[in-house]
Amino acid sequence: MKKLFNPIKDKTAEIIEYLMSSPDMPKDEDLRFKLRLSIEETVENVVQYAYKDGIGWMEVGTALEKNGLTLTITLKDAGKPFNPLEKSDPDINLPLEEREIGGLGIYLCKQLMDEVLYRYEDGCNILTMKKEISK
Amino acid sequence: MEVKIENTGTQTLVVLKGRLDTTTADKFMQDITPLMQGDNPDIEMDCAGLEYTSSQGLRMFLMLQKSVTSRKGNLVLKDMKPNVKEVFDITGFSNIIKIV
Repeated sequence: MKKLFNPIKDKTAEIIEYLMSSPDMPKDEDLRFKLRLSIEETVENVVQYAYKDGIGWMEVGTALEKNGLTLTITLKDAGKPFNPLEKSDPDINLPLEEREIGGLGIYLCKQLMDEVLYRYEDGCNILTMKKEISK
Repeated sequence: MEVKIENTGTQTLVVLKGRLDTTTADKFMQDITPLMQGDNPDIEMDCAGLEYTSSQGLRMFLMLQKSVTSRKGNLVLKDMKPNVKEVFDITGFSNIIKIV
């Protein structure tokens, strides 16, 4: 299933709830926690930075692959080209004084999902996240 | 997201309840403002009711820890749920904030 949100300003919570309520989502609480977190971090990124003042659209969707064993979540927007995966990972071993506030969201998403892919196609940013949901 | 703050003489007890995310982070920041003041703070946070934290929440904990450290105080997070603890572990926050 998929849905278009326009404009996306202040819609982060609504978009998260839409995706979390998808019938494709697993029931397992631990998996749902990880999926919710990955969704929040990536959706918030688009809502905050893709368009000036959040005035623009975003299409989000879920699908099941491999006989329902793999969940795919896709986020698509026509904002400025931005590959979040290019950003270098934060150094998680730095001492307190040197830790910076920020840069953790995409890192968390990459750690929690099995696969995170980005492509720029026909003027759109397309981020795809995959997670095995068989238990 | 609920934050209860109680002062018991020299120690400050804080009880967290709910989800710390994009929509609740600003309010949480306001709620913990009293913890950003005073010398030698000794803060214990009961995290048993903390259901979830995103990177927004981690930012708040990092700010609080930096503030507490600069005032030569202590901050301890207690009874964190395994899921939430994992977020602190993955990001290395378990190394810079005391979790028991």
